[in-house]
Amino acid sequence: MFVTRSEYDRGVNTFSPEGRLFQVEYAIEAIKLGSTTVGVSTPHGVVLAIEKRVQSPLLESSSIEKIMEIDRHLGCAMSGLVADARTMIDHARVTAQNHAFTYDENIKVESVTQAVCDLALRFGESVHDEEAMMSRPFGVALLIAGIDEKGPQLYHTDPSGTFMRYDAKAIGSGSEAAQSELQDKWHSQMTLQEAQVLTLRVLKQVMEEKLDHHNVQVAQVTPEKGFEILNETQLKDVIETM
Amino acid sequence: MPAMLSTQPHGLPHPHMQTEQGPQQRQFNPYTENGGTILAIAGKDFSVIAGDTRQSEGYSIQTRYAPKVFRLTDRAVLAVNGFAADGNMFVKKVRQRLEWYRHAHAKDMPLRAIARLIQTMLYARRFFPYYVYNILGGIEEDGSGAVYSFDPVGSYEREACRAAGAAQSLVQPFLDNQIYFKNQTPAPGTSHPTHLPLPTVLKLVIDSFTGATERHIEVGDGLEIYVVLAKGASTQALEGIRGIQETTVTNDGERVFIIQRELKKD
Amino acid sequence: MDHFPTNWGRPRNDAFDAYGTYPIAQHPRNAVDVFADGVQRTQQPIVTGTSVLAIKYKDGIMMAADNLASYGSLARFKDVQRLHPVGDYTVIGAGGDMSDFQYIQQMLEELVTEEFASQDGHTLGPVEIHEYMSHVMYARRSKINPLWNSLVIGGFKNGKSFLSYVDLLGTTYTASTIATGYGSMIAQPLLRKAVEGNETTLTEEEALKIIESSMRVLFYRDARSINKFQVATITEKGATISESRHLETSWSFAEGIRGYGSQTQ
Repeated sequence: MFVTRSEYDRGVNTFSPEGRLFQVEYAIEAIKLGSTTVGVSTPHGVVLAIEKRVQSPLLESSSIEKIMEIDRHLGCAMSGLVADARTMIDHARVTAQNHAFTYDENIKVESVTQAVCDLALRFGESVHDEEAMMSRPFGVALLIAGIDEKGPQLYHTDPSGTFMRYDAKAIGSGSEAAQSELQDKWHSQMTLQEAQVLTLRVLKQVMEEKLDHHNVQVAQVTPEKGFEILNETQLKDVIETM
Repeated sequence: MPAMLSTQPHGLPHPHMQTEQGPQQRQFNPYTENGGTILAIAGKDFSVIAGDTRQSEGYSIQTRYAPKVFRLTDRAVLAVNGFAADGNMFVKKVRQRLEWYRHAHAKDMPLRAIARLIQTMLYARRFFPYYVYNILGGIEEDGSGAVYSFDPVGSYEREACRAAGAAQSLVQPFLDNQIYFKNQTPAPGTSHPTHLPLPTVLKLVIDSFTGATERHIEVGDGLEIYVVLAKGASTQALEGIRGIQETTVTNDGERVFIIQRELKKD
Repeated sequence: MDHFPTNWGRPRNDAFDAYGTYPIAQHPRNAVDVFADGVQRTQQPIVTGTSVLAIKYKDGIMMAADNLASYGSLARFKDVQRLHPVGDYTVIGAGGDMSDFQYIQQMLEELVTEEFASQDGHTLGPVEIHEYMSHVMYARRSKINPLWNSLVIGGFKNGKSFLSYVDLLGTTYTASTIATGYGSMIAQPLLRKAVEGNETTLTEEEALKIIESSMRVLFYRDARSINKFQVATITEKGATISESRHLETSWSFAEGIRGYGSQTQ
C-alpha cells in the first residue's frame, strides 16, 4: 500500500482526498531552505534585509542579488529559488511601468503584489491551443516593500499565490525564530534607524556566521528617496549602532 | 456625346455630368461632423464643464437633446465633441476602463490618471482616429480645479479653460479675454486675478453659449453645465440657481452638480 | 440628411477640405490590400427605399414608410414592406439599401428567437434593439463595410415609449419626431411643428392626420416615393402594422403650372 501522500504528490494540479495540493505545499517548504529574509514597516518607510550565504571564500559576495528594485517606489527581497524570483520581478517591473505609462501615476503596492501573485498558479499541463504554462509552482517567497498613497507597506507572497500585508515579516530558514523576535520587538512608532537595527539584530540571531557588511544586505523604501540599497558605509554604520 | 466629353476642361466636370469623379469621392467616408460646442473652465477649487445639446448633420437638426457632457466619477466630467458615434463609443470605453480600474485598484481613478488614460486610448487609434475633441474637467488629488483638453489623436495639456467644437472660434477668444485677461491692462498698482470665483465663471459659460447660439447655426436648443466642487468647497454660489440638480454618488468627497438651461431653438 | 441614399456616408460638400488644412480630412488609405478585389463591400446602395417618418403621441409611437424600393430612378419593387416588427414591443423602419435591410431583419429575427429560446424571463424591448443595432451599425462602419441604411426604431414597453435613429455611420439619437432621407428635409419641419410640446396630449387620430399629411407632401415632392404606404403604431397593446393604403391626391393644379402641363411655350 502507498502512503496517501505519494499517490497525490505527483500531478501539480491534482488535489489529494484531503483537499491539498502537495506540490504547492512542497514549494512552500522549499522556501524554508532559503536564506533568511526580513522586512519591517515603519511610518517613515520600509526596511528589507537579507542574509547572504557566502558558501566559499572564493565567492564574490557582491554578486549575490536577493534584493531588487521593482520601481522607484517599490523594492523586493526574496527567499527560496532566486532564479524563479527573476520571472516574477520581471513581471512586476513591466506591470509597474505599464501602469505608469497608462495612468501617469505610481502603481499601488497591493496592485503590484496582486500582479505577481496572478502568475503564481499558472502551472500545470497546458491544454491544446493554449499558451504553454509553467511546469511547476514557483519555489520562492517575496517580501514586497513600497510606498503609495496609503503610506509605507510590506507584503508577503508565497508559491500558492496568497499575499498578505505585514508590519514585520521574516521568511526563509530562520523565519520561525526571526518572526517571534519581530513580534516581540516591533512597535508602531519605530524610526527608520530602529527598523534597520531591528532587521539586522534578527538576522544576527539566526545566522550561523558572524554578521558583517559582507554577508548581509539592507535596503529601504522611503518617501524622500524611494528604493535604495544601503551602501557599504551606511551598512557599516547600522552594524556599528547595532 | 463623346466629342462633348472631350471638350470638357480637364478636372472641371460639369456639375450634372458625374462622368469623372476622383477616387476619394467614391470611397465610403466613415466620418461625419455633428456640430455643437463644449467648454470647460477650471477654478481654484472647482471646475465647470458645459456643452449644448443640439446634434446636427449639415443643415439638419437631428435632435434637440443629445448630451455631450458626461459625469465619469464624482471628481471627473468628460465633454466630447465631433463625430457623435465615435464620441458615444469613446465615452463608453472610458467608463469601462474606469470600472476595471476600480476593480483592480479599489479606488476611483484620479483625474490626471484619467487624462493620461484618455491619451493612450486615443493614440491607440492613431491610424483610424476617434474623430472627437475631448475636454476633461474635474478636481485633482491636491484639491485644485483642473481642465485637460485633447486633440483627436491624444495630444493633451492641462489648462485653465478651453472651448472646442463648432463654435470654438467664437468662444475661445472670448474666454482668452475674460479668463486670461488677454488684451486687458490692469489698473496701475493692481493685477488680474489668477482664479475667478464660481458665480463669475457660470455667467461667462452662459454668455458664451447664448453668444454662440446667436451666431452659429450648429449651436443651440439646450445647455448642460456640470459643476464639480472640491472636497469641502462652499456650495454657496450654487444655492438658488434655477434648474440645478446634484448628481454626487459618494458621501465625503467632491460633489457634482448639473445645471440645465434652454437655448434658442432657431 | 441627404435625400440621395447614394450620397450617404460620402464626404459632405461643405465638409470637404480642399486644401487639407483639417487634421483628418479623409480616412487614411493604408497599405494596399492584395485581396481587395476578392472582398465585396457595400460601396453604394442598389435597390433603395426612401423616407421613414415617426412621431411620439399620447399612447406611444406612430411610424410610416411607403412600399417602394427603387432601382435608381426606376420604381422597381412596389410592394415592399419597410416597417418590420421585432419582438412584441418594437417596430424598425428602414431607408437606404433594401438588401442590407433584409439582412438586418434576418439578424434581428435570429436574435429575438434566441432570446425567446433561452426562456430566462428577459424580452427584448425597443431600448435593447436600439442599443444592439447601434453596435452592429457602428461595428460595420468601423470595418469600412457599412450596412447602407438609416433606421428608425420605435417601441413601447413597461409604460414607456421609445423612438430612436441609427444610421450607416453608427450615428444615433432619440427625438420625439424622426424623419429620414428626403423626409428629413420635407416632413421633419411639419412633424416638429405639430408634435414638439404635444407628445403627451396628441391622440391617435391626430397623430394619424399629421403622418398622413406629411406622407402626402412627400408623395408630391419626392420623386422616389409612391402613394402606397403602411402605418405602424406601437402602444401598450403592442405593435400593429397596417395594410398598405393610399391617400387622396389632387393634381389639377399642375395644369396651371407653366413647364409642367401641356403648354407649348
